[in-house]
Amino acid sequence: MAAMTTTAPAVRRSRSGRSGQAGGQQRAGKFTYFLIAIITLLSIFPLYWTLVSGSHTNAQMAETPPPFVPTGDFFHNLSMAMQRQDLWRALLNSTIVATVVAVSNVLFCTLAGFAFAKLRFRGSNVLLMLVVGTLMVPLQVGIVPLFMLAAKYHMIGHLQAAIAPYLVSAFGVFLLRQYLIAALPTELVEAGWVDGASTFRIFRSIVLPIARPAMAVLAMFQFLMAWNDFFWPILVLNNRNPTVQVALNGMGTGYIPQTAVVMAATFFVTVPVLVAFGFLGKQIVGGIMQGAVKG
Amino acid sequence: MFMARKQRQALVGAAVVAAVAIAGCSSSKGTSSPKASDTGTASSAATQASSPASPSVDNTPVTLTIGLFGTFGFKEAGLYDEYMKLHPNVTIKEDDVEQSADYWTALQTKLAAGSGVDDIQGIEIGFVADVVANHADQFVDFNKALGADAANVKSSFYDWKWQMASTSDGKTLGLGTDAGPEAMCYRPDLFKAAGLPSDRDTLAQDWSTWDGFIKLGQQYMSSPTKPKGSTFLDNPASIFSAAVYQGKEAYDTPDGKPDYKNSDGVKTAWSFASQAAADGISAGLAQFGPDWNKAFANGAFAAISCPAWMLGYITGQAGDAYKGKWDVAPLPGGAANWGGSWLGVPTASKHQAAAVALAEWLTAPAQQVKMFTSQAHFPSSKTAAEDPAVASATSDYFNGAPIGKIFGDSASKLQMTPIGPFDTQIQQAITNALGTIVTNKVKPDAAWNAAVAAADQAIGG
Amino acid sequence: MGSRAAYVYVAPFFIIFAAMGLYPFLYTAWVSLHKVSLAKPNAMSWVGFANYSHLWSNHFFLNALKNTFTIGVISTVPQLLIALGVAHMLNYTMRWRTFFRVALILPYATSVAAATLVFSQIYSQQYGLANWVTGLFGVHNIDWLNNKWASQTAISTIVTWRWVGYNALIYLAGMQAIPGDLYESAVIDGASRWQQFRFVTLPGLRPTILFTVIISTIGATQLFAEPLLYGSGKPNGGGLNQFQTLGLLMYQQGWANRNLGLAATTAWTIFLLIVVLVLVNVFVMRRITRESKG
Repeated sequence: MAAMTTTAPAVRRSRSGRSGQAGGQQRAGKFTYFLIAIITLLSIFPLYWTLVSGSHTNAQMAETPPPFVPTGDFFHNLSMAMQRQDLWRALLNSTIVATVVAVSNVLFCTLAGFAFAKLRFRGSNVLLMLVVGTLMVPLQVGIVPLFMLAAKYHMIGHLQAAIAPYLVSAFGVFLLRQYLIAALPTELVEAGWVDGASTFRIFRSIVLPIARPAMAVLAMFQFLMAWNDFFWPILVLNNRNPTVQVALNGMGTGYIPQTAVVMAATFFVTVPVLVAFGFLGKQIVGGIMQGAVKG
Repeated sequence: MFMARKQRQALVGAAVVAAVAIAGCSSSKGTSSPKASDTGTASSAATQASSPASPSVDNTPVTLTIGLFGTFGFKEAGLYDEYMKLHPNVTIKEDDVEQSADYWTALQTKLAAGSGVDDIQGIEIGFVADVVANHADQFVDFNKALGADAANVKSSFYDWKWQMASTSDGKTLGLGTDAGPEAMCYRPDLFKAAGLPSDRDTLAQDWSTWDGFIKLGQQYMSSPTKPKGSTFLDNPASIFSAAVYQGKEAYDTPDGKPDYKNSDGVKTAWSFASQAAADGISAGLAQFGPDWNKAFANGAFAAISCPAWMLGYITGQAGDAYKGKWDVAPLPGGAANWGGSWLGVPTASKHQAAAVALAEWLTAPAQQVKMFTSQAHFPSSKTAAEDPAVASATSDYFNGAPIGKIFGDSASKLQMTPIGPFDTQIQQAITNALGTIVTNKVKPDAAWNAAVAAADQAIGG
Repeated sequence: MGSRAAYVYVAPFFIIFAAMGLYPFLYTAWVSLHKVSLAKPNAMSWVGFANYSHLWSNHFFLNALKNTFTIGVISTVPQLLIALGVAHMLNYTMRWRTFFRVALILPYATSVAAATLVFSQIYSQQYGLANWVTGLFGVHNIDWLNNKWASQTAISTIVTWRWVGYNALIYLAGMQAIPGDLYESAVIDGASRWQQFRFVTLPGLRPTILFTVIISTIGATQLFAEPLLYGSGKPNGGGLNQFQTLGLLMYQQGWANRNLGLAATTAWTIFLLIVVLVLVNVFVMRRITRESKG
């Protein structure tokens, strides 16, 4: 791909990165567009397929060749899904859960990630090993004690229960640490010390702007993780107060175009996320670009 | 997860039968759409036989939660609304998890943690033995809780259904909802093309034994006129999971200890199923997998053993175009059961009396008849199964087959084999191994060894 | 310097972490030393390291270990290489860039359940898209479910599909953080574009690459939902356990066979395994980057 580019990469870090004005970054060649287009198609296809199978019965999907185009039956299936589960409430609940998880992760993990990346303190290596260590424990085995905790604090059935285990993530700390090691020049922090700035001020005015791309990425990942998680929420929530995945999982009532109804509902609850990222995508890209320009 | 999975799938499809099979059913009156009043009158005798629970429950407002999986169909059949009308102080809220495996994982976790359970919990057949063996102290004993009604209620159920949810010291932890008496579903058109008899009475005679069934299978496979690419049976598990319950023992000794290696049921079921697998009579389509689902409509197999609930599944998978192309005949080798559930009341419930009353009402004969006519769930209540609305039901989708009689006969002839807490795991280990005889050309002896290793791992490991 | 403040920074994280991460982690270690059934989790009887020695002589464990390794390799390696290439492409100025970036994260935004359902159809033996494509190359009727390598490949493509965009975005963020003057001086030194990529981009991405390698290794070692759902929800990973991973085995031990003690042992073994793999990764990465610098 590099062969397709003409401009030197050195210039690409101008502020104009977002709009890609002349003299900005390297431009993509035709071949790059071609490859990206293929990868994009592959990425989108399963979602499209969700739409297709959301508008056909199992029997129709079993035909050879299967139908490739969605139909108006999609809306019929969707309304059947709506009758069974309060999808709007589920969307609201999932938005709350995922947002709280994302915000809390960004906040706490950036703080800790910065400390691990640039501050020297006693026990930091041990603590970091601990963080990386828990990354490695599969969730399932910790579930009984976690559930007992949630029950003890009367969280079962409430959104808090779905949020609590995900408030922070070892992943986030690790991501921010790795990112800041590379992106945050130690001299900048030291210069801050010399100027007599408080750690908090250094954090706010030096670390935060530089950490923004990684924070944006972390926010997005944790939001989606919380949005799509189903093993734990099914345990602690129920469909009187469901998140999206809990509602989808409780769709199993009755009629035969079952798969179609579930797929229609799946499509319905996935679209808002994508639309949100369509808009936020710009912000995230913007964040990445700004962060790239040294604070 | 084998039985668990199937139950969900079953329930998934069941309600369509309401629309397609049962609604198209001609009852004894010969009408093509049953009137609500028919059901009412037909079951009035049943209603009297066991009157709804103790009116002595006080009238303070109470909200009952009921945790289920797949679809029990109570809500769809309008039973909650009806009950709340009868008891204005009661509000019913249902929790539903689609997959019974997920549901059971969650329920086990809640029981383990000692909190978070609903007032009523559905219990699937794959897990009832575990409840009986390990959670007897966490569920209400209906023999006590029903008080004076207990004997009446007990006598309305098939005895085997009642026994399966009872402990050896006489506690009964669940009231039966539906049952899964088995038959053989088949495609008359494919049979005809291969030169086999295709009417259900002849077949019932020809395959009264599994030997006869396998002979027909061999005839089918060697026929030059059978449709290309078509196999006689869907999966050797179709034979195994039916035949295993036709002996004295299935997977356990009478006191519920796993003992599958010495069981007559396993021995005969394995010999028939592995023969069918090795002879190429059976395809190796993973049951409930995508290729299996498609096969209902594309003719990749011509026969499949089918519990009552699977009619709905077949209807849904095959679609309207196959109306009248499937048929139902009695199962080879005698009666068997696959699937079915119970309702239990956890002792942790804060509204035990009200929950017991609701569970009793939901599983009473009158309601089981409604569940059959509207949701196609076959009754586990003998009284309900003998009700004309059930007993004389036929299915248009299944070529006019007298499904009420076929499944009713199977249910009434059923002998209960002992059950144990690892039946699901053992059955899955064995049917997996059977599948590999077809799909991976594993020799039957080697497959048996693999099954034993996996089953022993489940039991002891 | 800043030592006291550092504790304040890590404190909120560690307080929550102690309850939600550390406690279950240590509890699991404790459970692994007991015989305990999910049916009665409070009735634990001490068995010392019996569960561990049982595991290492157990056919199912060794099989799952092998499967986890092979699936891990054939999903992680292509996944990260493709992601690197994609990130490189996305780093160019191009039209519809936001659209491409959002589209790339789409697989990650799709739930595993929906994705696996779609892929199961694609890998359907009789009429699946995958067999249609291989048919064009003269290879017919691959049994994507029952054949060992085919099934592992199928699962690996699901994993790869879901995570390429995710890793690409992480790489992209990392690429943006590489100081531009490095490229400038490289250009002055007459470095070709490949050499820039090799000697500026790659070393600059080192912490990021290490991060994704570690995260992917951990993810691969814990792989669970994809093989579970690909096998229609059964925990055995196919008739011959041909795609049963360690995560799936643990689920089967704990939730199907109700042997919580053994499941916890498998979990801790997975953990120890990952520690070893991560150390190997770190070591290898150090070697590679040292060479590239030298």
